[in-house]
Amino acid sequence: NEELWVQSVLEMPKRRDILAIVLIVLPWTLLITVWHQSTIAPLLAVHKDDGGDSRRDLAAGLDSKEYCLSDRDIVEVVRTEYVYTRPPPWSDTLPTIHVITPTYSRPVQKAELTRLANTLLHVPNLHWILVEDSQRRTPLITRLLRDTGLNYTHLNVETPRNYKLRGDTRDPRIPRGTMQRNLALRWLRETFNKNSSQPGIVYFADDDNTYSLELFEEMRSTRKVSVWPVAFVGGLRYESPKVNAAGKVYGWKTVFDPHRPFAIDMAGFAVNLRLILARSQAYFKLRGVKGGYQESSLLRELVTLSDLEPKAANCTKILVWHTRTEKPVLVNEGKKGFTDPNVEI
Amino acid sequence: YVYSRPPPWSDTLPTIFVITPTYTRPVQKAELTRLANTFLHVQNLHWVVVEDSPRRTNLVSNLLEKAGLNFTHLNVETPKSLKLGLSWIPSHTPRGTLQRNLGLHWLRNSFSNSAPPEGVVYFADDDNTYSLELFEEMRYTRRVSVWPVAFVGGLRYESPKVSPEGKVVGWKTVFDPNRPFAIDMAGFAISIKLILEKPQASFKLEGVKGGYQETSLLKDLVTMDGLEPKAANCTKVLVWHTRTERPTLVNEGKRGFTDPRVEV
Repeated sequence: NEELWVQSVLEMPKRRDILAIVLIVLPWTLLITVWHQSTIAPLLAVHKDDGGDSRRDLAAGLDSKEYCLSDRDIVEVVRTEYVYTRPPPWSDTLPTIHVITPTYSRPVQKAELTRLANTLLHVPNLHWILVEDSQRRTPLITRLLRDTGLNYTHLNVETPRNYKLRGDTRDPRIPRGTMQRNLALRWLRETFNKNSSQPGIVYFADDDNTYSLELFEEMRSTRKVSVWPVAFVGGLRYESPKVNAAGKVYGWKTVFDPHRPFAIDMAGFAVNLRLILARSQAYFKLRGVKGGYQESSLLRELVTLSDLEPKAANCTKILVWHTRTEKPVLVNEGKKGFTDPNVEI
Repeated sequence: YVYSRPPPWSDTLPTIFVITPTYTRPVQKAELTRLANTFLHVQNLHWVVVEDSPRRTNLVSNLLEKAGLNFTHLNVETPKSLKLGLSWIPSHTPRGTLQRNLGLHWLRNSFSNSAPPEGVVYFADDDNTYSLELFEEMRYTRRVSVWPVAFVGGLRYESPKVSPEGKVVGWKTVFDPNRPFAIDMAGFAISIKLILEKPQASFKLEGVKGGYQETSLLKDLVTMDGLEPKAANCTKVLVWHTRTERPTLVNEGKRGFTDPRVEV
């Protein structure tokens, strides 16, 4: 009995000790685990990257490059991501700019949309509505939009072909892009509630024009319809609204038909979303529109001349250029094609 | 107004020196604007813009200042043929040559061969289209890296031929595939180290056959089997040789309609 009693007395302090040790050590173990994950990883010394080194980890879209410094230096593990940079963080206070871009398949399409996306990726609170002139949404566009990281909506509607002419031509009486822009307007009207206060601006941006970043900030404050000069339209260096001393638009500085109700290019105006939703029947006229009157066909249902808000320093600065891209020469493809058609351009 | 800033400079990423020759014409500002909009996404990019002009113009100076990019602004004028036809630069000097060479010259003056910076040189014309992925592909070039280019040589794209071992063994082109380097200006990048190691390597000014300009530089830098294929072993197109139409300005008439002080 005595031995047993002695044994149990000896055991009890042991248990207490163990408990004490556990209570002291456990928090430190947890702490070290957390540290390890966040801090230690970048501090691991690594081997020098050697181009064709098979140890290089090439996960989809990620490439890690590692540099070797002395053991005492802190080494930074640099990761490069292949996908587009994300757009700027969304802000709760900035009105959203809904950019409507009609597009159609042709060799330079991917190039155009790539460089357009590279511009749009700088603009906060931008929503890109891309409308394909096609029977179905194409994989090229689907992939491109997803890879940009932009906030987007992908639509499509095919402009009917004129069967009387050679099969490939679209109906020449419908200006290009009209049905696509109208579809986007319809989508906006179906998506946004007229009574909700989500501020937004609608801008029609063709995929071959060139846009400065400043332009998007100018249009963001549009109350009804804002206007500004556009370069390389109407056979001029630029066309521009005429603005009087009181800051009101009273005419159009154009050579071609300056008496149009709105002698302005598609890229030269933006409309407040509220107005688009309020005038829900306002669309671009599909047929019977004289050359140069497409913009008027929409704007006359939305606003009068005196309501226009001039931007770009009272319409004295050029912030958008109506550039056009040459059709590439593909003669050497020959009849059967030289390049691999599976390689997307 | 909002001017975008490039991503913060990193002390460990190799620098990409982009050399862009440019010249005054109506679409110049538009081209440089959208080019800048692309470059503003690329980390550690240094833009070397070389004007073909007797003086650096205000248009380009102001654009570079406002863009927020790291830049160097140079200029050199391509001499025009004298009226008598006694040109010392024959008419078949490809455009941009003197300007690209000046860019290389600036690099060699700015950096020492004994302590070369980590980085690459890339020749980017102001009317082409570049994906962001392209710059990450070229960033770790050891000597000279290559990849396909769209819309050159009368094809959808031209491309280096890459063997299963990952070596360049030829050129998939219709136009003169037997050129030593049947590749477009936009289809390769050279490590700074190599540029500094071979200070005599420049684009040839005179007597260059059409399509041989790139060869005139690359032959002094590398051999075909030393090329590093990028873009998934040259199966992806990451750069397009787009060209911009000349705008119609007929309505300006003889005396000009628009205000010439408004910069386009």
